[in-house]
Amino acid sequence: MNIAVCVCQVPDTASVIGYVDGAIDRSRVNEVMNPYDEYALEEAVLVKERFEGSIVTVFSLVPDSAKEVLRKALTMGADRVVRVSCSEEVSDPFQTAQMLSRAISSFYPTGLPDLVFCGKQSTDFQSAQVPSMLAEILGMASVSGITSLRASGDFFRVEREVEGGIEYIDVTCPALLSAEKGLNEPRNTSIRAVMEARKKSIDILELNLHDEPYVVMTGLQPIERKKTCCIVPDEHELVRILSHECNLF
Amino acid sequence: MNKFLVFLEQREGIVKQASINAWNRVQELAVLQANSVVTGILAGPADTRQLDGRMAGYGVLYHAGDKRLRLYHQEYYTRFVEDIFNRERCSALYFADTALSRDLAPRLSVRLQASLLSGCTTADADRAGVSRPVYSGSSLAFFVPERQPRIYILSSCAPKSSDPVEGHINVIDVVPQCFTAEDIFPVVRQIVMREGPPDVAEARIIVAGGRGMGGAEGFTLLEQLALLLGGAVGASRAAVDEGWRPHADQIGQTGKTVAPALYFACGISGAVQHLAGIGSAGIVVAINSDPHAPIFNVADYALIGDVHIVLPKLLDSLQEFLKKQ
Repeated sequence: MNIAVCVCQVPDTASVIGYVDGAIDRSRVNEVMNPYDEYALEEAVLVKERFEGSIVTVFSLVPDSAKEVLRKALTMGADRVVRVSCSEEVSDPFQTAQMLSRAISSFYPTGLPDLVFCGKQSTDFQSAQVPSMLAEILGMASVSGITSLRASGDFFRVEREVEGGIEYIDVTCPALLSAEKGLNEPRNTSIRAVMEARKKSIDILELNLHDEPYVVMTGLQPIERKKTCCIVPDEHELVRILSHECNLF
Repeated sequence: MNKFLVFLEQREGIVKQASINAWNRVQELAVLQANSVVTGILAGPADTRQLDGRMAGYGVLYHAGDKRLRLYHQEYYTRFVEDIFNRERCSALYFADTALSRDLAPRLSVRLQASLLSGCTTADADRAGVSRPVYSGSSLAFFVPERQPRIYILSSCAPKSSDPVEGHINVIDVVPQCFTAEDIFPVVRQIVMREGPPDVAEARIIVAGGRGMGGAEGFTLLEQLALLLGGAVGASRAAVDEGWRPHADQIGQTGKTVAPALYFACGISGAVQHLAGIGSAGIVVAINSDPHAPIFNVADYALIGDVHIVLPKLLDSLQEFLKKQ
């Protein structure tokens, strides 16, 4: 099977995002592999292990400085990595999806890969749009936010959480699947995996950005959260306030 | 004329409250823009009579009651929405924030060549710009669409009241042209719903617990409280990571964004990622032994104390109160 995985880099969520002169300061922030992409990559490697002869290729639209993230992808079990280098910075999910689709299409000239894995969303902007957009552009079926994947005959059977329940879905290849937290537990990497990773290649694919963004971010500011909190003396009083003053029950 | 199309989602023939809330919000937006009309679209068999008195304003609802649309079907739903959107020459498409809309809207964005603004906490009708929390809830970002038409996924909002609203929806049955002879995948084989309390994403009252609950057993108190109030139990990331509650209960940036009328935060310190998930909650009550916990910055009321001592007393007070009703 040919398996593609899209991986991006995000600020470590444990880092505090600072502001300098009203603009965001990413200089002291640690950049790491998007956690949802770890689930995606781990699942791709699990599928590869199930289907002998499979090849996992990671496509990553990241700057040149992102070497650690790319090495990590190889250490986790990707067979090769393609860093997509764009002529300008992409600014919205649509542009990102277009760049990834061109990279993937050019890499598999005889057709689409059997499976494409993405993380459900990136933890920085959390739009959760790239995976479905990418699938639509490539002309593939997609299922977003999967929590389980099983091969069953001609199908892949996946599960995804919906409000109050679980959807059981069948999909055939080619398909794009985006990973939700809990799909798997990304493996710890061993020294051996690190050594193996050194032998694998990181290719660079240079593409010009043709497409205009569909959405533009015009501002960013820290969120101020301040409510006036009323400290209630006891539980009786709280029940009284919530029922009589707030009419909640 | 501006035509706004609102996608209504049904589950087992019942239109979701989140969709009705979205419709009502779009009606409010339409009032602010001259010459605007709101139209609805609904796929799958559903009882539309229960919409009277809950959907505000006047408008047409295109309903394709075909059984083949009972469960979500990505390609059929995409085509059906695209057909009606284009036929009616709509300028904007609105969704409630659900798993379905997050799957469907990006595909429609590409197919309709429409700007997609998702997770909007505010939709400014004049500028058409929206805002939503980013960077794990620490920041608020502003976005404007570059293209016509536009698609919006509106964040959950607590409904203003449960009083009946003024309006009449004219339901028009349509025969969808979206089907093909061969199967198109993905195909949803079935949905299995969880028994019992409402899902956190849809609950009017949420009782949530964090690390301060001390373990899975601590959540029994929260379950009792939720049961008394007819609410759902939620959890912070810490409680989920510890394995005390399933991921489906998680509230926050990597969990669900919720908009209940009443939110109890028990033993939850209030990390920014969690606060981002409850930004649209109505009344927030924090129960925590640490008076400096950041949760108090977003709480309306607080009980300072150990949850294991406070909660049993709260349960007693509540039971007493409910008996008198």
